[in-house]
Formats: sequence, structure tokens, C-alpha cells
Amino acid sequence: MRTYLLKRLLQIIPTVLGITFVVFVMMRSIPGDPVVSLLGDAYTEENAIKARHDYGLDKPILLQYVIWLGKLVQGDWGTSILSGRPVLKDVMLRLPVTLELIVLSMAVALAIAIPAAIIGALRQNTWADYGATSVAMVGVSIPEFFLGVLLLLVFSVGMGGALPSSGWVYLPGTCQTVVCAAGLWGNTQHVLMPALALGVGRAALLTRLLRASMLEVIRSEYVTTARAKGLSERPVIFKHALKNALIPTVTVMGLQVGFLIGGAIVVETLFAMPGLGTYGIDAIIARDYQQVQGFALITAFAFVVINLIVDLTYTFLDPRIRYT
Amino acid sequence: MHSRHRVSGRGSSALIAFVLLAVLPIAGEAQGPKRGGTLRVAYGNEILGMDFYTTPGYEMAWVAMNVGCGLVSITPDGKFIPEAAESWQVSPDGLLYTFKLKKNVLFHDGNTVDAAAVKFTFDFVLDPANRSNMRQFLGSVHSVEVVDPHTVQIRLKQPYAFLMHVLAVYRMGMIIISPAVTQKYSPEERRAGKPEALVGCGPFKLVEWAKGAHLVMDRFDKYFEPGLPSVDRVVIRTIKDPVTQMAAFKAGEIDFIADLSADHVDTIRAQNPRAHIMTGKETTPMVAMMKVTVPADGKPLSKDRAPHPIFNDIRVRKAVACYGIDRKEIVKIAYKGQATPWLGIIPPGTMDTVDVNHMCPYDRAKAKALLAEAGYGRQKPLTFELMTNTEKSVFNVIATVIKEQMARIGVTANIKLVDKTTWLVTSTQDGAFDMFVEDLASLLTVDQNSYLSASAAAWNHSRHTDTKIDDFYARYAREIDPAKRKVIAKEFQEYSADKLYWNTISGSPFYQVAQPWMRDYVYQAEFKVSYKRVWLDK
Repeated sequence: MRTYLLKRLLQIIPTVLGITFVVFVMMRSIPGDPVVSLLGDAYTEENAIKARHDYGLDKPILLQYVIWLGKLVQGDWGTSILSGRPVLKDVMLRLPVTLELIVLSMAVALAIAIPAAIIGALRQNTWADYGATSVAMVGVSIPEFFLGVLLLLVFSVGMGGALPSSGWVYLPGTCQTVVCAAGLWGNTQHVLMPALALGVGRAALLTRLLRASMLEVIRSEYVTTARAKGLSERPVIFKHALKNALIPTVTVMGLQVGFLIGGAIVVETLFAMPGLGTYGIDAIIARDYQQVQGFALITAFAFVVINLIVDLTYTFLDPRIRYT
Repeated sequence: MHSRHRVSGRGSSALIAFVLLAVLPIAGEAQGPKRGGTLRVAYGNEILGMDFYTTPGYEMAWVAMNVGCGLVSITPDGKFIPEAAESWQVSPDGLLYTFKLKKNVLFHDGNTVDAAAVKFTFDFVLDPANRSNMRQFLGSVHSVEVVDPHTVQIRLKQPYAFLMHVLAVYRMGMIIISPAVTQKYSPEERRAGKPEALVGCGPFKLVEWAKGAHLVMDRFDKYFEPGLPSVDRVVIRTIKDPVTQMAAFKAGEIDFIADLSADHVDTIRAQNPRAHIMTGKETTPMVAMMKVTVPADGKPLSKDRAPHPIFNDIRVRKAVACYGIDRKEIVKIAYKGQATPWLGIIPPGTMDTVDVNHMCPYDRAKAKALLAEAGYGRQKPLTFELMTNTEKSVFNVIATVIKEQMARIGVTANIKLVDKTTWLVTSTQDGAFDMFVEDLASLLTVDQNSYLSASAAAWNHSRHTDTKIDDFYARYAREIDPAKRKVIAKEFQEYSADKLYWNTISGSPFYQVAQPWMRDYVYQAEFKVSYKRVWLDK
């Protein structure tokens, strides 16, 4: 297990580097130039040449990447070309917001998907099953931004500001700004609609997947054996069937993190949240190369680590699985 | 010695047109301003950086004009009023400006704002190494001299009618910077919004800029205007989505929207009948810019120019942009009629504007005839690319209407949708485009527009090479007599409408929205967003 873990941890390095290199090259291949945005109406050819030199943008792309990498290993994530702000500081400021959003969206998704899938599988081809399947279809079909706007109109506008429409209140202990709003209740109010908007689509997908797995598992021999041994239905379903049925679901959950990060861009923009999603999209639009690299690095790292955790979860769900 | 006349507290006598329709001050009620509270402001766009003199964008400027102070400011009706300056005199030849400074103006770090600080500010802005975006407006400044600690003189190379405008309001005005602080901190630290590096003499001091989260300014207790500002704190958040902006406003989460998109005005009005919706005659032009020349050697920004294959021909420009575009229809569809169809290079709300719409009546037959004369028709149909960008939905609506109008005269306009940065780079860096739709800089005077349309300007979008345009700008800027300046402005607008290097479609309306409890905010379009008199009646 230890060897496996070490191998997987080592694999993170080339994976993350590969992703950051691809992003690095792609960003420089698309039209746009951060120097034009940086200089604004003070743009002259002379100023542009000087600025490009100052930021090392006149060097070959490969060399620029090596320089970026060299600074990275020293803990320097670079400085935003446009805002002059240290990338690491801004990423760390925004990371808790997006992490919380992603974790809670996944929690929302599971809270909906597990009961819906179990009901659907146990009562196959009944109204309960059709109901759960239909809800899943609706959930898959509603884009995050649309559901977000609906929630906004109902809970912020329609219900007289029952839930805040925008902004953020940090979880106690996670705020890194000088002026900071933090509190558990405020945080819950702020995260509820974004987590629902992001989680419902995932819930729908997981419901369909888990229902199919459950249908397969509850017909397997070991479940029949468990029932034959006289076990009541609850432990059969939750201890024997669900744990096994969750394996493909957990795999998909890990892969869904990438989609959640993409969805976070939309949801954070809609609810004006100071998260990584808005940070990333602003960086791409402004061609702020350093900022984009920071975003790519942290998201790639998060994706790979979460998928490692997913792989390790298999051993908990199915004790037969061993990593050597 | 020059004889001098005193003009303290007075400025350009020309009435700024936008004021007439635009100023909707939210008058304080009988009980007078209340102290305290937090003003919550929403911006539609992110602040790009915080270096006053290099960061582009209105959002930063709207912060800078509250953190900093200048020598003078401007009222909605175009009068110059003192800020750090107590009084000023201009020599009869218009070449020497003498400013007497107030003695009680302090920077936020407690240091006095004196003549040396003013001179330092000018020297800083004029130094090309500092890449200041105000430098382009100070080309007429010869030198700035300290007469005594509280007197400073600005000497010009030639008369410049708009020096006071530059000082008061171009971009954010000439904000006085602290020599000690500016020398101590790097441009990156200023751009990053480090509060210690951004010490001003304005009513609010910067507390924190956490990009993406908020910008916080606190009341400066030693501000030189007694009793001001009224609010203790200003918190600015960026809410990009107009639906969220409106929801936050409706729920009372924000007190003020600094820039509401025109297509949501009716909704916010319906949702909030007591809201103060402020606007005025448009000072920003919405343009459908045509490229006139291309680099002959294929190198962008090359001085060696060749004719643009389509729009270098004046007949085609006139067919397409003069007779082929129905400006009234565009305004009706894109702005629900709430903008002014316009042709002149000076927007409808800007000083010395003249209506030259009669020069380009919508006339399809004439457009077709001109196209035929230029060799286009069924045998050789005209097709061009119409670039628009994702920043504002109205650009795409206008592009779509133009496409439809072009079809009516047998021309195909292929819409190319790009993101804002791609548009910026393509349009300003001599990239390949035929026409683009965009609203450009808001103008108090057309003098501000020279960097976008003079032949040698870096951002001359159409890349025309007509030096007569430059002459108009130069004559207009040097003419001190407002009546004579008006004549030049009229000639300029007629010439520009005739040549169509600059093709205005309409004015681009600007809206701000305040809650009923936000008092004494004075609307001055994009030019001034000042919170120092604002108080909260709740």
C-alpha cells in the first residue's frame, strides 16, 4: 500500500507538469496580449516592447516555461501581470471558497442521489422509480446557470432576500483578508444556492449511475446469500449492496471534480463569489498568463489528488481490493 | 511680467451638455446629512489594478478619485472648483497657470500636500519611464515650478484650452501623489493595491483590495473639507451578472450600482419603483468602425500603409456607413429607443457637439448606387467581416441589425464574435478586421479622443492617414476662445462625417442606480464617481 501510494504521489508531478505545460503553450497560442491590457491607452510600441521585456514575454516559450518552473520550485507562483498581485496569495485567498463549494455540491449530489437510486432500484418500474428517474433527467437537463438564476429569483428576489444573492461569508478560520466577514450561519446562507445549483446536475447523473449499479448488485448471489442467512433488508442494502454499488459511482465522482471546477466558474460568476472559478476565467479573458498558470496548477493538483483519494476509497468500499 | 486675471473657483464657461439632462442629484432632506454607516457599491467589472497612473479602466479611476485629491475638481455644470488648490490664476496669453494651495490638505500618512508634491506628481506623470496614461494629455506642459511651499506654477509650451479639464477630470484628474510614498514603493506594489503604497489626500483611505472579494475604503478623519465624508466606510464588490446585480439591489444588499447595463434599466425600475435611476445625454460613442488602411509590408503597426481592400474607397464607406445604416432603427431595437442616433465624432452629450445626422440620411437607393459606382453588384457582391465582442450584449444586437441592414443593400456582413481581449488586440494592434462594433471612451471634450483617432495615435483604430484630422484636434485644443472653438468643432464634425474614418452609430447610454436611502450623490456620468458627500438616510 505504501509503495503504491508513493508511486501515485510521484505520478502527480509529471501529470501536473504536463497539464501546466499544455496550458502554458495554449495560452500563448491564442490571440491576445496581456501587455495591451496592461498598458491601456498608454500603449505605444516602445512601452509595449519594454513591458514585454520586463515580464519576460519576449523570450522563447519554452524558456519562459522553464523560468516559471524554476520559480515555482522556490515557492514563487509569479505575479499577476495585470494586477501586480502575487498569484499564490490570491489563489490561497480563493481556494477555501471553491473547495467548500465543490465539497458541498458533491454532498448535495450524494444526498439526493443515494436515496433516489436506492428507491429506484428497490422499487424498479414503479411510480417511485419513474419519479426518481424523471427527476434525474430533469436535473441533468438543467444547466447550472439556469438553475442558479431560478434559485436567485425565488430565494433572493421573490422571497424578499431570504438568501443572499451574492458575495461571501467565510467559514470561521478560513478568511485571509483584513476586512473579513466570517461566520457559520452567514456562510451557510451564502453557499446554499450555489451548492444547489452546482450539485443538482451531478445528483441526477449519480442517481442514474447508482441505480443501475444497485440493480445489478441486488441481483447478485452474495446479496441473495445475505438475505438467505436471514439478514434484515436494511443491512443487506446498506452494508452489502450499497457499498459495492458505490464503487463505479465513486470513480465517476472523482472524474466529476473536473466538471465541478468548470461549473464553479459559472456558479461563482453568477453569485459573485470570490472563488477560484472567477479567478481562472478572469485570467483567461485578460490573458494574464501568470494567473492562468496558477489556476491550472491548483486545479490540476486538486483533480489528481482527489482521484487518488477516490482510488484509495475503493479499499474501504471493497476490502478485497488491495494495492501493492 | 504677464498681467493676470483671477479665475478662482471658476472654469470653462462652456456648459457641459450632459449636465442639462443628466444631473439627478439625490437631494438631502431637511434633517441634513447623517454621519456613519457603510456604503455598499456594486461594480459590473473587476478592478484591473490599483496604480492610479497606469491601470486602465473606469473601475480603478472611480476608486482613485475617492482616495486621491487633485488641485481642482469640476461640477456637473462644468465649473471648476477648488480641491487642494485654494485659488488659481491664468496669464492672459494662457501660458502660465499659478495655483495657490490650501494649507490644511494632508496625505493619509499625515504629510502635507505642498507645491513640491504637485511638482513631483507632474514630473512623475511626464516621465516616459513611468508609462502614465495621463502623459498623453500633458503634451503642452513645458515645466512645473515651485514658487513657494504653497504656490506652484505650470508653464505651457502653447495655449491649451483643456488644461483645467485634464487637472480636474480627464480619466480621474491629476491626483496628487506623495513623493515619499511613491519613491518608497514599487509600481507592482501600487498596482497590487498595497494600502501603504497608495496614500492619497482624498476623503477616503484605502484599507484593502482583495481582488475578486472586495475593495474597502475608510473615512479619512483629517480630510480638508470639514464634516466630509459622511459615511465611515465604502465597500465595493464586483457583481458581473446583471441579474445578480438586480437581485442584490432588490434585496437591499447593495446601495449603489455604479454602472448598470442599459438593457436592464426597465426591469430594475419595475422591481424598485423608489430607486433613483440616473442617466444623462450620452457622452460615449457607439461606433461601427471601419478599417481604412492596412500595413503594406504585412507587419502590424507599420508606417508603410496600403489601402484597405474594401473600406479605403470613400464610396463604399459612404454606401455602407452613411446611407446603408439606419441609425434610428438600430437605436429602436438595441436600446428600445433610449439612446440618440448619432453620426458626429463628438457624442451627443459632449461639449461642442453638433448634430450632423442630416449628412447621412438612410437611403438604400443611394447606397446601392454608390456600391455600383465602386464596382460592387450582383456580379461582384460585397462581403465584409463585422467583428463584435462578448463584453456587452448590445454590441451583438447592433451587429445583427447592421447585418440585416446590409442585406437590404445587397451586402453580406459576416459577424465574427470574439472575446474582449481579442477585440482589443485586433483593433488596436492593426489586426485584420473590416468593421467592428464597440462603445469607446466617454468624452467630456473631444480633445480626449485624440489618442483614439489622430492619424499617428497608437490606438487609431481605422488607421486612417489623414493629417487634417490631427490639425482639427490641434486647432481645437489651442483655441482659448470658446466661440471660436465651437466653430472648429462644427467643421471637424462635418469633415469627420464626410470622411467616415470614425463612424458613430449612436450615443451609448450610461446608467447608475441608487437606493432611496443613499443621499446627496451627484451624477456626473463616468467622469466623477465621488462618495464624499453621500450619506445614508436609514
